[in-house]
Amino acid sequence: MARKIKGPQMIVANRLLDGRVVFMKADGTWSAVAGDAAVAADEAGVEALEVLAQKSADENYVLSIEVIDATERDGKPFPAHMKFAMQAKGPSVRPDLGYQVSPAWEQTDL
Amino acid sequence: MALVNLTGIQAGDFTVLAEDQTPAEGATVAVPLSRLRDEGDDFFKVAGPVGAVLATDTNYTDLAPLMNKLAFVVIDFPAFGDGRGFSLAVRLRKDLGFKGEIRATGPVIPDQALFLLRAGFDTVEVSDAREAAFKAALKRFDTFYQTDYTGQVSLAHARHGKNQERKAS
Amino acid sequence: MYAYDKYDHALVNSRVAEFRDQVERRVKGELTEEEFRPLRLMNGLYLQLHAYMLRVAVPYGTLSADQMRTLAHIARKYDKGYGHFTTRQNIQYNWPKLSDTPDILQELADVEMHAIQTSGNCIRNVTTDQFAGATADEIADPRPYAELIRQWSSFHPEFSFLPRKFKIAITGADIDRAAVKWHDIGLVVKKNDAGEVGFEVLVGGGMGRTPVIAKTIRDFLPEKDLLSYLEAILRVYNEQGRRDNKYKARIKILVDALGADEYARQTEEEWQKIKDLPIDFPAEEAARIKAFFAPPPLQVLEDNVPAVDELAKKNFIFGAWLKNNTNQHKVPGHVNVTISLKPHGGIPGDATAEQMELVAALADEYSQGELRISHEQNLILPHVAKKDLPAIWTDLDEAGLGIPNAGLLTDMIACPGLDYCSLANARSIPLAQELGKRFDDFKRLQDIGPLKIKISGCINSCGHHHAGHIGILGVDRKGEENYQLLLGGSGAEDASKAAILGPGFDENGVIDAIEKVVAVYLGERTDGEEFLATYRRVGPDVFKEAVYGTR
Repeated sequence: MARKIKGPQMIVANRLLDGRVVFMKADGTWSAVAGDAAVAADEAGVEALEVLAQKSADENYVLSIEVIDATERDGKPFPAHMKFAMQAKGPSVRPDLGYQVSPAWEQTDL
Repeated sequence: MALVNLTGIQAGDFTVLAEDQTPAEGATVAVPLSRLRDEGDDFFKVAGPVGAVLATDTNYTDLAPLMNKLAFVVIDFPAFGDGRGFSLAVRLRKDLGFKGEIRATGPVIPDQALFLLRAGFDTVEVSDAREAAFKAALKRFDTFYQTDYTGQVSLAHARHGKNQERKAS
Repeated sequence: MYAYDKYDHALVNSRVAEFRDQVERRVKGELTEEEFRPLRLMNGLYLQLHAYMLRVAVPYGTLSADQMRTLAHIARKYDKGYGHFTTRQNIQYNWPKLSDTPDILQELADVEMHAIQTSGNCIRNVTTDQFAGATADEIADPRPYAELIRQWSSFHPEFSFLPRKFKIAITGADIDRAAVKWHDIGLVVKKNDAGEVGFEVLVGGGMGRTPVIAKTIRDFLPEKDLLSYLEAILRVYNEQGRRDNKYKARIKILVDALGADEYARQTEEEWQKIKDLPIDFPAEEAARIKAFFAPPPLQVLEDNVPAVDELAKKNFIFGAWLKNNTNQHKVPGHVNVTISLKPHGGIPGDATAEQMELVAALADEYSQGELRISHEQNLILPHVAKKDLPAIWTDLDEAGLGIPNAGLLTDMIACPGLDYCSLANARSIPLAQELGKRFDDFKRLQDIGPLKIKISGCINSCGHHHAGHIGILGVDRKGEENYQLLLGGSGAEDASKAAILGPGFDENGVIDAIEKVVAVYLGERTDGEEFLATYRRVGPDVFKEAVYGTR
């Protein structure tokens, strides 16, 4: 399943029970903060992250797993593409909603 | 695998024949439609009760010549979302007047149990783990908005005490 | 309005129990996501960018004040205090939890509402004219037929796993406010020479990446044959519609491949076999349902109300609102009021729980407790006495809902776009907001006159850009939002496909381009000629030249 990657990658998904956006950390747990995401720099690293993420899907914790291009913002990982940056922040037209309010916005432990 | 009986029909006990397998004399067998067409009467002479395994994209008009020879039909869903299987069962009942068992195989899901029943299926092959869910789903609704081809008349008729009437013209 | 009987209640409650069970099985892992997805979609539940999104049906756009209050209550209790009214006369909530949705559906069921088949590859919520049963230009109220279709299409055993989604719209007026020609099936209520009610039947319309205008396959279908004929159309589609490529799976592609004549022939052939079976509703059922839609007992009043005219003269905004946001009712002295959900700089179609409650209170006081949703994402108070307009407008204006732009340039359709939608390639809402700011001058808007701008954030065209007098399509160009400009579409009885004018722009560029297009129109128009008529008369070249310059 080796595939070429263009640059650093990270993993985003939604939690099954509440749909909220989560980024996968290096230990396979998930965070609302994009900056906590594990970043893989090569194909082997991406595959290892995917295996970890799939485990969370198999445990019915997340769905809609996406491997996405990562960039850096304030020295921390952040989605490179505008669509996934929107997930990391919240709707641009509602600055009162989403993680742009605070990283802990509406997060409950599930 | 478990067999869920939707209608209470006497369900067939058959073997699905492999491509090149000859039926044992008098055996109850299911074979792909193409083979029945190719081998024709010879096949029916050897075997006992014969059923056709149909893909969901089967054109029902192709089945017309076989209607008085088939004991049962298996409609094999390649995916549960392939809704052609429902129309094919409707065609068998409505257009071809088929009275034998219609069985669903493939990855159909418990939540389709009533749709299968109402489209004309009698039986469905399910995994053992899902047998209970299939049976529970059958009891989910007891009123129906549509007239179907299995004898259920729509609520629009039932509301007015019209249970079997033809449309007034 | 239609009221559920014990059977309707039982069915909707069974559906809620079924979905509760499905959610539990999904969470326990007894259903895979692949299996659960179509089941949740058939209950209106999507997964979008930030959260789940629940699309609740407002069947054929009619609801009671009490139902509106329930929508407000759901917004407050389970969501973030607001909802989004859509082009299919639905409302969407943007932040529900999966674990809450069975409870939400139960609260809806308790007030005779549901989210059944608002998504999925099945027959969707039937839409119609927002002024149905209340407008002066109507042949017959289409809503009884929409309700009959709603019941027939709900939980259909044969048509719940179609090749693709399937949308039916019906209009009872010659002026088409329901965009029926852009639907998989469009129905136009007609009377034949004998004065009997029936339908012109169109099939194969649709937007998406391949815009097609529906074609007539039957000029007159008697009322009593409606459901059996629809069943014949659907059976042909379910059997032969493409399933190998989801972008070619809509009925429009099949109608195009077979030809409309052949589609009509196959439909007719199938229909002949089933038309005498008890598929259609008996006459008693049609009568039962029509009785629910009997016109409210309105007194005939004077059309001339001096107090209204005086306020209109004194207050330009009220005068513009009176002109743009009211539609002549069939009972003299009454109008249907369009409450615009397009405040300049706001989010098209969004309403807060408080706004919903205000509108519900106004409906109780002034419009027989009844409300409508239009496919242009506005709310309607039907059956309003003209003399009540100043009081209504004052209340609306205080809540930010008195905007007099119905039918004007800033009364835009816009999809949620990349701010919310997981399919979008570009944002739609900021563009609508910027347009509202750029054209925030009601005298200028009034001078420009009727002009429909429709904005989609991707090729799926939920924002109806193909049908816009001016359409905007957002695309992703190498990671940047880019907007294509289209001109000349129509969603009305004179339906036409908009054509791309030229290369795309960034956000500011496309708004500048719209300003230029409007300027060309103002320069070219003849006396009283509306934008679309001018465009059709002069053609695209003069607009192209103004926007892109001469080569």
